[in-house]
Amino acid sequence: MTDDRLDLPQGTLDLLILKAISLRPEHGWAISERIHAVSRATLSIPQGSLYPALHRLERRGWIKAEWGASDNNRRAKFYELTRSGRRQLEAEADAWEKLTAAVSLVMEMT
Amino acid sequence: MLSELLSDVRYRLRALFQRGALERELSDELHFHVEREAEKNVRLGMTPEEAMRRARVSFGGVERFKEESRDARGLSALEAVGQDLRYAFRTLRASPGFTAAVVLTLGLGIGSNAAMFGIVDRLLFRPPPYLRQPATAHRIYLTTSYRQKDYTDSSMEYTRYLDLTRWTRSFSATAAWHLPRVAVGVGQDAREMLIGTVSASFFGFFDIHPVIGRFFTAAEDQVPKGTPVAVLSHAFWQSRYGGRGDVLGTTLPIGALTYSIIGVAPSGFVGVGDGAPPVAFVPITSYAGTATWTKDQTDYYTAYHWGWMQMLGRRKPEVSVEAASADLANAFVRSYAAQSALSPQGAPVTVARPRAVLAPVQHARGPNESTVAKLATWVTGVAAIVLIIACANVANLLLARALKRRREIALRLALGVSRLRLLSQLLTESIVLAALGGALGLIIARFGGTVLRALFLPADAGSGSILDLRTIAFAAVVALLAGILTGLAPVLQARRADLASALKTGARDGTYHQSRTRSGLLVLQGALSVVLLIGAGLFVRSLQNVEQTRLGYDVDPVLYVDPTLRGVDLSNDERAALGKRLLEAANAIPGVETATRAVTVPFWTSMSTDLFVAGIDSVRKLGTFQLQSSSPEYFATIGTRILRGRGLEAGDRKGAPLVAVVSEAMAKTLWPGKDAIGQCFKVDADSLPCTTVVGIAEGIKQRSLSDDPGLQYYLSIEQFHPEDMALFVRMRGDAADQAETVRRLLQPVMPGGSYLAVTSMREIIDPQTQSWRLGATMFVVFGGLALVLAAIGLYSVIAYNVAQRRQELGVRIALGAQAADVLRLVVGEGVRFAVAGILIGGAIAFLAGRWIGPLLFAQSPHDPLVFGAVTGVLLAVAVAASVIPARRASQVDPNVALRAD
Repeated sequence: MTDDRLDLPQGTLDLLILKAISLRPEHGWAISERIHAVSRATLSIPQGSLYPALHRLERRGWIKAEWGASDNNRRAKFYELTRSGRRQLEAEADAWEKLTAAVSLVMEMT
Repeated sequence: MLSELLSDVRYRLRALFQRGALERELSDELHFHVEREAEKNVRLGMTPEEAMRRARVSFGGVERFKEESRDARGLSALEAVGQDLRYAFRTLRASPGFTAAVVLTLGLGIGSNAAMFGIVDRLLFRPPPYLRQPATAHRIYLTTSYRQKDYTDSSMEYTRYLDLTRWTRSFSATAAWHLPRVAVGVGQDAREMLIGTVSASFFGFFDIHPVIGRFFTAAEDQVPKGTPVAVLSHAFWQSRYGGRGDVLGTTLPIGALTYSIIGVAPSGFVGVGDGAPPVAFVPITSYAGTATWTKDQTDYYTAYHWGWMQMLGRRKPEVSVEAASADLANAFVRSYAAQSALSPQGAPVTVARPRAVLAPVQHARGPNESTVAKLATWVTGVAAIVLIIACANVANLLLARALKRRREIALRLALGVSRLRLLSQLLTESIVLAALGGALGLIIARFGGTVLRALFLPADAGSGSILDLRTIAFAAVVALLAGILTGLAPVLQARRADLASALKTGARDGTYHQSRTRSGLLVLQGALSVVLLIGAGLFVRSLQNVEQTRLGYDVDPVLYVDPTLRGVDLSNDERAALGKRLLEAANAIPGVETATRAVTVPFWTSMSTDLFVAGIDSVRKLGTFQLQSSSPEYFATIGTRILRGRGLEAGDRKGAPLVAVVSEAMAKTLWPGKDAIGQCFKVDADSLPCTTVVGIAEGIKQRSLSDDPGLQYYLSIEQFHPEDMALFVRMRGDAADQAETVRRLLQPVMPGGSYLAVTSMREIIDPQTQSWRLGATMFVVFGGLALVLAAIGLYSVIAYNVAQRRQELGVRIALGAQAADVLRLVVGEGVRFAVAGILIGGAIAFLAGRWIGPLLFAQSPHDPLVFGAVTGVLLAVAVAASVIPARRASQVDPNVALRAD
């Protein structure tokens, strides 16, 4: 367990989770693994933040949960995007683009 | 946005109702995560145990995540309350004795308060049913000055009512009403019932519609005689006519007339509600136009002889109470001037100073509130005191229990429970106890309330349960307050909990700490009990004084017979003959010792007329002399003693010299220093021949039990008002049981539809003593209750202290103390509490004596005998309450006590 973890800016965790399940429903552990993998092991979500975030997102109706069988045939809780969740993902992704572009511009200032 | 909100609400609802399932799901989910992490670690090459350990460690404390997740679910507050309630019920069920004691104590306190609230609510707060806008509806009181004293009364003449209605501008409506007992029915079936004689405008004051038929109109309420139509009350319609719809148009004899029934009032309508509800409503002019108290039928609306009815006024909302009172006072002055024009010998306007008072409709809130209403207010205060004592008791019990749980509380605090949660949990316990106490209290109030209502509102008895929404709401509020109040004590103590010392094993120190709070509460209980018991003692002695007062006549064996003519018109001679026939018939009844004719009855009626005595220019200035006119057997029948000279004799008939028997006080007032026997005075007019005094009688209580001046005189009925037909009958044995027999046997003597009413003297006198009997009963009951609660409180405190001091007592006994020494030690503690309570309570009672004085009868509120007796009682109770734990203390085995805990 490396300690080279980047501190995630606030609100970014929601964006990551929404994106992670945008292709297909995943359970909590899989979400965390995928983000870790896709980010080339840079981003590691502390489990203490993951589940509260998932419940928060569920409360706001952006993701919905359903129990199903995992790939090793064990019972797990799968999360998937709802329609309003998809809309929220688009909005947040858009905002993220704008933000990072602006920050980059400032950083290129000499 | 909206969809988010909906989703949130749905989520919360699901979390509320399916909490258990959600918890399990979360648990499963987290475990799954840990397992997968462990599997990953195994694939990375770790051993299974190492893999699992790492997985768990990386995950951190599962419980903390659960907690955070739960917090994210946003339900903690509600869950916390639910948890507190469950915990409270569990702990209370675990100690049933404690719970029972507390619930019972609180139940008694809350119940007595709820019951008294119900009474006071009906007496003072609640307006009559259906009354429109009670704030603008007023009962009119008129004030006149007589000999520098103001007399305020709501009774007035019908003429006055017409004057005031005509000459004021501040009222949108006025109404007249009077509630006489009138015979309903014919012959043997005739029964006296309460009839509401009202003006047609009366119904407009209320928001009512007739159930069937209609109310009478102003056209049917015209002077001089009105129209004989009647509106039945709902209850009477149900009981007498079975609620039949065909009752309209049938007739009903009421008083001297036969009335035609035109409608039925709605259920629960009782008019102004001054006591028992009337059975029917008739136009007031129909009643006044045929009343037999005056020969001239137009008198009642043209002359100002006698105030008999009461007036309601609907104040216009834009007019203030002061302006309306002033307007009314002006009208009264004009009316008084008209009265003076008719009878110039009355006091002039400048002396009488007529004024008016607008009061609420309820009688108990007017300027003449009865002693009973005042007493009801006092008793409410007393009930509140009992509640405080009960709360103090419960607080003490809760404190003792909190002390026992000191270790548990300290442990929980050390484990990280927030203080707020702990306090809220303790408070929840108290509130649950108070809620249970409140429920029990409502049951007690239901039954106790029936008894109380019979005592305070006898006319109201049977009109529905005393428990209604207002009383229940009141009980709920009281229970909540009690819960918070009693819960405060252990909560405050928990806040100061010293963790370290509490966690030490064995809650024993070298000495025991006398908790100041608990001692204070105990002394408070004692003091309040003392106050109540002193009140009880004062009222009981008042009652004794009342019952031992020499009335001047006998009460138990005497009946009063009041004949009323109906449907026949007799001349004065014929009436006199009827009176004689009634007397003969009465003497013939078995069980009758002796009977007499008479005109007035103590407390109910009185007669007085002008007297003229040589050498005194105005007899009226010396006082009001009450007159009784009777046949010779009067003194023997009613039991008034002749002190000197003779009573009335058969020889004192018409044409014989006029004679009189005067009371002792009258003799001393009119002929001071001289022997009254043989003196002459003129009755009615100065021109008439002399009436000679032939005997002196004892004074009687005619108008008031406490301060009657005793100025009475007796004339022979043959010489004065021989047409009066009333009788007094003296029975062998108790008269009340034989009243119906006497009535039945005398009824045949009455002509036509006439009837008799027979009342026992006890029924006439009892209401006069009611307020003292009430006060005595209430104070004794509540005082006794307070004493019991205080004794329980003292017992529990002493017992607890003894348990705390077991070690110390063991040491003492081991060092040679005898059982008697230990007894003295413990009982001494109890006595010290009692003494403190007596001193404080006695001081309070002494100071409060000023206000309770007027309610007593011939009894000083600072009576040392009562104070001394109460002191003795409290000391005795304190000793008794301390003795049991003291004996247990003296039997402590030093070996057991000294062993390590």
